[in-house]
Amino acid sequence: MDQNRQGARASYVALSVFVALWILAPSAVRRFNREAFVEFQAPALNLLGKSRDMATFWEKKSRSVEEMAAAGRDLARINAALEIQINKFEDIRRENVRLREITRYNVPAEYMSVVARVATRDSSSWWQRIVIRKGRNDGIRPGAPVVFGNTVVGRVTAVHLTTSEVDLVTSPGFRCTAYLEGDDQNHIVLVNGVASNSLGTTKARVSVIPRDYSMPAGQPARVFTTGMGGVFPSRLMLGYLDGGTYATQVGNFKESLLVPSRDLYNLQEVSVLVPLHQNPGEALMQGDQFQ
Amino acid sequence: MGWAWLFLLLATYPWLLGADLASDTLASSSLIFFVSGTCLVAPCRRLKRWQAVLFAACLGFLFEARRPIPDGTLALSLVAIAIFLSSNRQLIRNTPSMLRVAAIVNVSACLIWFLASSYGSPSPATNLAGQLFLQLLLSCVVGTLSLIPIALTQNAVLDRLNVPPAPDTP
Repeated sequence: MDQNRQGARASYVALSVFVALWILAPSAVRRFNREAFVEFQAPALNLLGKSRDMATFWEKKSRSVEEMAAAGRDLARINAALEIQINKFEDIRRENVRLREITRYNVPAEYMSVVARVATRDSSSWWQRIVIRKGRNDGIRPGAPVVFGNTVVGRVTAVHLTTSEVDLVTSPGFRCTAYLEGDDQNHIVLVNGVASNSLGTTKARVSVIPRDYSMPAGQPARVFTTGMGGVFPSRLMLGYLDGGTYATQVGNFKESLLVPSRDLYNLQEVSVLVPLHQNPGEALMQGDQFQ
Repeated sequence: MGWAWLFLLLATYPWLLGADLASDTLASSSLIFFVSGTCLVAPCRRLKRWQAVLFAACLGFLFEARRPIPDGTLALSLVAIAIFLSSNRQLIRNTPSMLRVAAIVNVSACLIWFLASSYGSPSPATNLAGQLFLQLLLSCVVGTLSLIPIALTQNAVLDRLNVPPAPDTP
C-alpha cells in the first residue's frame, strides 16, 4: 500500500516537472505535437467524409429514371441561363480591367478557387469550425477566405497535409470589415464572431454602425465584404442584419447581430479562394495557424 | 504487455470518432459530445500507472488537436486524473462506482477544456452560464451512458492482450 502511495507521489512530481517543461518548451515542440495528432486523425476524417458521399451517391442512385431525367432537364435550363450571365459578367470584367488600367488603380488580388468537401463540423461556445478535405497538398494556405457561391463561409485557420480547419463567420476568432446595404456613404463596419450562448442560431456581431444609419424598409439589410485588407474579395455577402440596431454603451455607434445568409452547418461543399500571390496578412497568419 | 496502451488507444479511437460524428450532428446547438473522460476510467483499473498516463495523454491530445484549446491543458489534466485513478483503484472497483466516477471525470474534463478555451478566446465570456450548464449536463449524461459499451470494448481488447484482470480487492 505504501509502495502504491509512494508511486503515486512520484508520478505527481514527475507530472509537475513535465508541466513546467511543457510550458517552457519552444512553441515548435507543441506545434509538432499538435500536428502529429491531427495527422493521426486525418485518414479517419477523410474516410468519414467519403463514406458520407458514398451514402449520398447510393441514395441518389436509387431514384427513378423519370426523376433523374426531370432533374437533368431543370439543370440544363439553369445552365443555359447561367451561360448568358457568365457572358455578361465577362464583358463587365473586361470593361473593369480597361477602366482600372486607364485610372492606374491597384489590381485586386486574384484567387485560385479550390473546391473542397466538408468532412466534419465542430461547434462549441468558443469555436464554430468545419474541417474540409483539402489541405497543404492541394495548395491551401492559412488565412484564405472560404465561400459558397457569393456567400462568405469563413476563413482557413489551420492547414494540415490533407485537411484544413475553417473558422466560420460566427466563430469568436473571425473578424472582417463590411459595408451595409442602404448606407449610401459606405461607412465601414466591423463584423466579428461571438461566443455562442444559446441553442438557437449562432450569430456574429456587427459593430461601429454609424448612428445615422437606417435600415432599408421592408427587408433585412444585407452585409457585404469591403475587399479591404486583402483577405476577402469585395462585395461577397456575409449575411443579414438581425432585427434592428441598438446603441452601444459608449453611444457613438450602434451595434447589431449578423445572421449568416446560409445555414453554415448544412454545407456539403465549399470553395477556398487561395490568393495567387501571398499577401502580408497571410504571412502573419502562418505563425498563428495552430491557435 | 508494454504496448497495451497503444492498442487500447487504437481500439478506443472509433468511440472518439463516433463522438465527433455526434458532435457534427449537434453542431447547430454549439454542444460537443465529449467522451474522453469516460474512455479513461476502465483502462485505469487494469493498466499499469505509466501505461494509463500515456493513454490519458494521447486521449487528451487527440481531443485538443483540432480545437483551439491551449496546448496540453486537457491532456495534462487527464494525466493527473489517470494517476489519481490508478493509485486509488478501490474507487472504480465495481460497476456502480465506475459509473459514478465516469460521470465525475467526464464532467471535470469538460469543465477544464471549456474554461481553458474561454481563457484563449478573443471573445468575452458573457451570459455563458446556461451554455456551460448544458454542456456539463450533456457530458454527465453521455459519460454515464457510454461507459458500459466503451468499457466492454476496452476490456475485450485488454483480454486479448493478456493484461491481467482488475483485482476484486485492490
